[in-house]
Amino acid sequence: MNIAQLMKLSYDEVAKCNKCGFCLPNCPVYLAEGKESSAPRGRNATTRAVIEGRLQWSPEIEKAIFSCLGCGACTAACFPKVQTKDLVFRDRECLVTEGLYPKIADRVARFLEEQHNISNDDNEERSEWQEMIKDIPEEALNKDRAEVIFFVGCVASFFPMAQKIPVNMSKIMHRAGVDFTVLGGEEWCCGFPLIGAGMPDKVKALMEHNLAKVKDVGAKAIVFTCPSCYHTWKHLYQPEVKLFHASQMLNDLIRDGKVTLKERKIKVTYHDPCDLGRNSGVFEEPRQVLKSIPGLTLVELASNRQLSTCCGGGGNVEMVNPELSAKVAAMKLEQIALTGADMVVSSCQQCLRTIATRAKRQKMDLVVKDLTELVFEAME
Amino acid sequence: MERGELLTSLKDIVGEENVLSSEMDLALYGYDASLERGKPDVVVLPGSTEDVSKVVKLAYRAKIPVIGRGSGTNLSGGTVPVKGGIVVHFSHMNRIIEIDIPNRTVTVEPGVITLDLQNTILKKGLQYAPDPASQKVSTLGGNFGENSGGPHCLKYGVTTNHVLGAEVVLFDGTVVWLGGKSPDQASYDITGLLVGSEGTLAIATKIMLKIIPTPEAVKTMLAIYDSIEDAGNTVSAIIAEGIVPATLEMMDNLVLKAVEDSVHAGYPMDAAAVLIIELDGMADGMERQAGKILEICKRHRVRDVRLAKSDAERAELWAGRKGAFGAVARLRPSYLVCDGTVPRTKLPEVLGKVIQIAKKYDLPIGNVFHAGDGNLHPLILFDERNKEELARVHKAATEILQICADVGGTISGEHGIGTEKLKEMSFIFSESDMHFMRDIKSAFDPVGIWNPGKVIPQRQAANA
Ligand SMILES: Cc1cc2nc3c(=O)[nH]c(=O)nc-3n(C[C@H](O)[C@H](O)[C@H](O)COP(=O)(O)OP(=O)(O)OC[C@H]3O[C@@H](n4cnc5c(N)ncnc54)[C@H](O)[C@@H]3O)c2cc1C
Ligand code: SF4
Ligand code: SF4
Ligand code: SF4
Repeated sequence: MNIAQLMKLSYDEVAKCNKCGFCLPNCPVYLAEGKESSAPRGRNATTRAVIEGRLQWSPEIEKAIFSCLGCGACTAACFPKVQTKDLVFRDRECLVTEGLYPKIADRVARFLEEQHNISNDDNEERSEWQEMIKDIPEEALNKDRAEVIFFVGCVASFFPMAQKIPVNMSKIMHRAGVDFTVLGGEEWCCGFPLIGAGMPDKVKALMEHNLAKVKDVGAKAIVFTCPSCYHTWKHLYQPEVKLFHASQMLNDLIRDGKVTLKERKIKVTYHDPCDLGRNSGVFEEPRQVLKSIPGLTLVELASNRQLSTCCGGGGNVEMVNPELSAKVAAMKLEQIALTGADMVVSSCQQCLRTIATRAKRQKMDLVVKDLTELVFEAME
Repeated sequence: MERGELLTSLKDIVGEENVLSSEMDLALYGYDASLERGKPDVVVLPGSTEDVSKVVKLAYRAKIPVIGRGSGTNLSGGTVPVKGGIVVHFSHMNRIIEIDIPNRTVTVEPGVITLDLQNTILKKGLQYAPDPASQKVSTLGGNFGENSGGPHCLKYGVTTNHVLGAEVVLFDGTVVWLGGKSPDQASYDITGLLVGSEGTLAIATKIMLKIIPTPEAVKTMLAIYDSIEDAGNTVSAIIAEGIVPATLEMMDNLVLKAVEDSVHAGYPMDAAAVLIIELDGMADGMERQAGKILEICKRHRVRDVRLAKSDAERAELWAGRKGAFGAVARLRPSYLVCDGTVPRTKLPEVLGKVIQIAKKYDLPIGNVFHAGDGNLHPLILFDERNKEELARVHKAATEILQICADVGGTISGEHGIGTEKLKEMSFIFSESDMHFMRDIKSAFDPVGIWNPGKVIPQRQAANA
């Protein structure tokens, strides 16, 4: 993307930023670094200055623009609702054109092109987690046609720490009698990492493949455990079928009596993943699910729902600037500690990873669980 | 001093990662929430008083300007480096150093966010009274620099009434403590002089503030009017009765509509104006006072008075009021807030004139203000990218301030002078007044390093 195109797409939006600064205390990156260039207001001012020819793209701008988590917390605090994260992602497209971007992104782009997943493994290995399931026959998970497709996502497919998410979700759906299938090697990455990397034009091939698969299976709905996949399908793919995040499906299953839960005397807090809560508007269903577990006490984080603080795992920052990602995760842990909960529950494999990894590094005694895991354990 | 040498010396003081000097960084520290723009030579993020003292000492020797910066939300260009220099951004100096409950004081570093302090001490049943609408982002250093006010300052006073003392760095880097925990000081009230001086006399590195117990009871009312005059007259009548509510805020129709669109607090979209009247204090006697206010409202043809029934309802009303500038900003990309003060009895007259100015310059102007203090905030809406419109905006703003001065008011309520209102200083100060101010300034700042180009107009500009 060049500056003329950027001007066409971003100028009116960025001009709405009146520099009031209300977004500053909401932005985890600004809080961690304390520099105007990490603040949403600063990012907008940079975009504007480039459009107006007062600044040229530079390595400093690259570093700043690629340090945004894409969490959207700034917009939640902003009265004119300036879409800073979209503006940042568009800046990244320009920076990619200029050759100013973290080169690790090229590797990811190549993996996605060649293997269709982010970890550069043979895509057939997407089903590796199924080996952890003993009591469901393979055919029951891998059908040619089904009502529902379970879109597992790269992280949960390939990273051992997150594999229990599809395991638990499959077990729950199987027991509840949902007619579902996974796509195995035919599931390609949704393309979300490419959007954050400033390479959205490369998403097309992935999207076309995935949409064709939905037709093949004849599915009426797709369920996602990954909020970012869910968000990408909902906002970019926009297929004709129904889209559910796992928390929404669990809530329906519980409501319809297909999943019943036994008592768990625990005190938990819930972390709203950015792409599920703020960016997709799913706040209540995961809470409803938690509240359906008898004996469970839910204590809210001081910053919850629209104001939830990112776990540090968004916007490819973990890949590009792991130190910053860790700082944000540490802030999140402080907030969690203040709730006095024994356990933090999220509904995203990425949050699970960032929070659990940070807690371990800091030797913090904290149980981190995905909603699917907690539900499965509480099932009758 | 040569640039390379300056940067090296600064890096030696605060560490390499805390010195920002790229073109991007300089552009990003060239603005604040006003329409002004400038460019510093370099930005530093100090971690301690010692850092600040060393930076200032260096600046003094090299005769380079120093500009303190909190969150950069001031509305008058107070943090815009008009003559280059070193911006000292206090984002890393944000610790609450002491909460002294028996003496009811807190000591903070300047980068502490106003609302963070409030939330911390509220848990202990205490509060810091000044509540600028920007409290969730403004810093206490910035509040100190601007002598900020807020809705509750009608009853409790503005920032200066709550600053007990401060550790400040003087022009040559010397660190001194002014004031302290005891209410009366043996010497000059220099703290009082520094509060509101917009970083033009010294820089504060620690601030000691007075805190008070939270009130036993609070009652928040929304009075709805079909005419802006009636609302204005209610304000003077309440004060004339000898009642001092905690707040007496007013919003006109343009602002109301924008606020309701964004927060959905139940503000009536068709009203000409509303007042937010809050009472606080002892539960005893509050009913009677509320009854009296109701009666005054009725006398002035109020359409309806609603009482906030819960804390949540009250919080919503305030979220609307505190987000008013931002909400209005949704209508057009840019806004300019005029900040004039007039005697309360002149409110209806001045509001009428503001409406005329809006017509004359063909600009939407909304009104939201601290009515109890007579502190107006006409908000002029426009698009900064349209140069012709921008020129009209500046003319309209000057004319509004002229009107405030003409009726015996002043050109600033709480947002300071900065660079934005330099030219209007002559509306209220004579050349000898300003001469005196310049003398004070040079006593604190013999070589002219402190935030130059702010507050006091240059001699020739004032004569012109
Ligand atoms: C939407 C909006 C609403 C607002 N509402 C109000 C309101 O209701 N009431 C009100 O009074 N103001 C209001 N303001 C203005 C502004 O928020 C206040 O002036 C606030 O005090 C500025 O704080 P800051 O941290 O942003 O300071 P900055 O803007 O960074 O600095 C303000 C001034 O203080 C000086 N300064 C900063 N730190 C120090 C220090 N350590 N020592 C000495 N001087 C220092 C700076 O040099 C500058 O001159 C509002 C602004 C906005 C954008
Ligand atoms: S992005 Fe929104 S909240 Fe942040 S400075 Fe701009 S207008 Fe204010
Ligand atoms: S999206 Fe998140 S990280 Fe990026 S600027 Fe906004 S608040 Fe900061
Ligand atoms: S969002 Fe999910 S599928 Fe998409 S890239 Fe991430 S893990 Fe892969």
